[in-house]
Amino acid sequence: MSKEARPSWDSPMQFVLACVSYAVGLGNVWRFPYLCQMHGGGGFLIPYLLMLILEGIPLFCMELAIGQKMRLGSIGAWTAISPYLGGLGIASVVTSMYLCLYYNVINAWSFWYLFHSFQSVLPWAECPVNANRTGYLEECEVASPTQYFFYRETLNISSSIDENGGLHMGQALCLLLAWIIVYLFIVRGVKSTGVVVYFTATFPYVVLIIYLIRGVTLHGAWNGVKYMFTPKLEQLANPQTWINAATQIFFSLGLGFGSLIAFSSYNHHNNDFEKQAVIISLINSGTSVFASIVTFSIYGFKATFNYESCLERMRLLCLNAFDLSEESISAGNVTEWIHYLNITHPESFAAIASKIEHCSLEAELDTAVEGTGLAFIVYSEAIKNMPLSQLWSVLYFIMLLLLGMGSMLGNVTAIITPLADIKLLSRSLSSESINGLVCLLCLLLGFGFTSRSGNYWFTIFNEYAATLSLLFIVFLEVISVCYVYGLRRFERDIEDMLGHRPNWYWKVMWAVVSPLLLFSLFIFYIINYIQGGTPTYQAWDKDLGRSVVKEYPVYGQVFIALLLLSALSCVPLAALHAVCRRKQRGTAIREHRKKNSD
Amino acid sequence: MLAGVLLLIFLPPLVAKDLCKDSQDGFKVRLSIKTALGDDAYEWNESEMFLFRSTLAYAMRKQTKQDTYNITNILVCNDTQRVSFVFVVTSPGDPDQLIPKEQIEEAVRQNKHRINNAFLLSDMTLEFVGIPPTLAAPIIYDTEPWLIVFGVVIGAVAVGIVALLMSTVSKKRRAKEKAAGLSEEDEGIVKENGTALSGLGGKEGVYNQTFSNDNRFTEL
Repeated sequence: MSKEARPSWDSPMQFVLACVSYAVGLGNVWRFPYLCQMHGGGGFLIPYLLMLILEGIPLFCMELAIGQKMRLGSIGAWTAISPYLGGLGIASVVTSMYLCLYYNVINAWSFWYLFHSFQSVLPWAECPVNANRTGYLEECEVASPTQYFFYRETLNISSSIDENGGLHMGQALCLLLAWIIVYLFIVRGVKSTGVVVYFTATFPYVVLIIYLIRGVTLHGAWNGVKYMFTPKLEQLANPQTWINAATQIFFSLGLGFGSLIAFSSYNHHNNDFEKQAVIISLINSGTSVFASIVTFSIYGFKATFNYESCLERMRLLCLNAFDLSEESISAGNVTEWIHYLNITHPESFAAIASKIEHCSLEAELDTAVEGTGLAFIVYSEAIKNMPLSQLWSVLYFIMLLLLGMGSMLGNVTAIITPLADIKLLSRSLSSESINGLVCLLCLLLGFGFTSRSGNYWFTIFNEYAATLSLLFIVFLEVISVCYVYGLRRFERDIEDMLGHRPNWYWKVMWAVVSPLLLFSLFIFYIINYIQGGTPTYQAWDKDLGRSVVKEYPVYGQVFIALLLLSALSCVPLAALHAVCRRKQRGTAIREHRKKNSD
Repeated sequence: MLAGVLLLIFLPPLVAKDLCKDSQDGFKVRLSIKTALGDDAYEWNESEMFLFRSTLAYAMRKQTKQDTYNITNILVCNDTQRVSFVFVVTSPGDPDQLIPKEQIEEAVRQNKHRINNAFLLSDMTLEFVGIPPTLAAPIIYDTEPWLIVFGVVIGAVAVGIVALLMSTVSKKRRAKEKAAGLSEEDEGIVKENGTALSGLGGKEGVYNQTFSNDNRFTEL
């Protein structure tokens, strides 16, 4: 008998909100809009929704079912399914650990930007002046103020992964704060998490709605939204579209980390997880679409602003070079005037020809950005041009923080739940101490990301730590449940919990469709890695003011391989360990029997 | 004689124009009044030019600390529709001698703010080609504002954690006292039965099938 009953959510609503808070994260805001733009706007919704039905909802439901049935964290749950599969749980914990390490660094950046928004002039709005106040700092002139603020003042980035530097004290402080807040949220386990998720799950929607209203009323926002939603259906013929839809659904729902198993292990035995799985998946996808409307209205505003600034610059250039009166050229007829002046005064025009830019709204809208570049550079550039920019900046970064913190809750719970299940640990240390030690360890390791080359290591983790391994883990999960544990046994468990058997949709997806999809994604990733040659990264060049492509050094590639192997190898190693243990016990029992019979 | 008088009258402006047009010590000025003021823009006319020349004379006076500069020392030419022109400054003592470029640049630099305000323009809209504007000095804070906000937030969070941990510790202490109170009664019972019960896992004992309730229906 356990010392105390397993803690549980105060209500099913807390569980749903916790899952929503975990699944709705930064990827919904910065990856989905990018994919939408790359793959044909409104047309991308077709493969996206199809993949949701074929792969997202069934796998989500399966993980919830496992957790609710086994009432243990990922290691215990998979050991219960089959003693040889404990490694699957360990792989999940290892991957969650990697994710925790680097994900909280994003929260640290959000804190940094949030705190810097409390100034009369946003620090990324203008370049800092140089020593004798005759101009701006060179690096800022070549790049842009927002890029300068991100790469130089926030990260103080070095020019390649080989050059390490000291820690950035501001970043280190913000990371410390981020981990302290995470600890505060999880210190009492599901009791404290359950209260926090009411806020982290709902407040981002409040901010998104406010931003939607602000976004669509901005000048030029409509250009962006129209551009996004005009479907380019020819993109559907591109296989990359379908692959990206599948991977986006997969990663967006947060499968394979063990967080969902951990969350649902605190449920009551008869909780209706089937209905909840559908609701949560739909909320997650709906939020992605909603966030991309907001993102595109902001894109449209920024693109229109840049386009009009470009036209204004050209107008001034012509006016100044030819000393024409100010009213002669307006923003509307700049291009005609340029042609006219080129024809009538070719020599004088040749003098300014090098400065003439071709202003195009399409080109501005086409610059698709994803990831941290979108969140911290593009968005902050748009915000600085809005009226009352400090207010919008504060709201935006609070939203990013809530999304990130909500996901962190799930990530850390995925680690502490299996740890709490280990009797040895939970007997010697209280749960608060275990949680504190996990947070402390992640904080100390995370300081490495605040060094000058930290962003390059961050990119390694972001691209390799939780991609291939997850596909492998979830593929094994679905195969184990259907064929090792047995689909019939699983059906009976579900009937025991819900009162009815899963219908044909679930069974077909679990047994056939999802494994096939996952396997093909896994193969595709491997082919991509092999075909891609030496892996490369984007290094910031401060003289050019933009990123350049560099290859990873040998130790970097070895590190990537270690990251992948450390997670993937848990499964076979643990299975081997279980086989050896069985053999040992088997020989011990036989010897014992032999002794007794003698 | 008449020709000589005429020459005397027209020579200075002609010479002045040559001084302005050919000189190396002149600066081109560009005003963007419509861009700066939109509908409130004023017309550029002779009076405005008069104001400009007087502000420049004022700037020269301030910089050289000589009260001898006058509007006649500021010569203007190459007036265009853009509202741009070239000006030179002649020395008050000798109308044929021009003040060197560096001195004019100093004078303009030091008084740009006053010149801008006279015309309701800014550094962007009133340009002296060749004299880059002196940018505003960066504000230096005693404590960076972000540190203040950070301090507030981390203080609040630390208070929250300490409060939570204290309440957990006090709850555990209360539970321990209650358990200690109960276990004193149990201790006696276990002591009586020595090894049997203490060898088992918990205090609840083991359910013994022999004494199960199966014969409850055979009470008759």
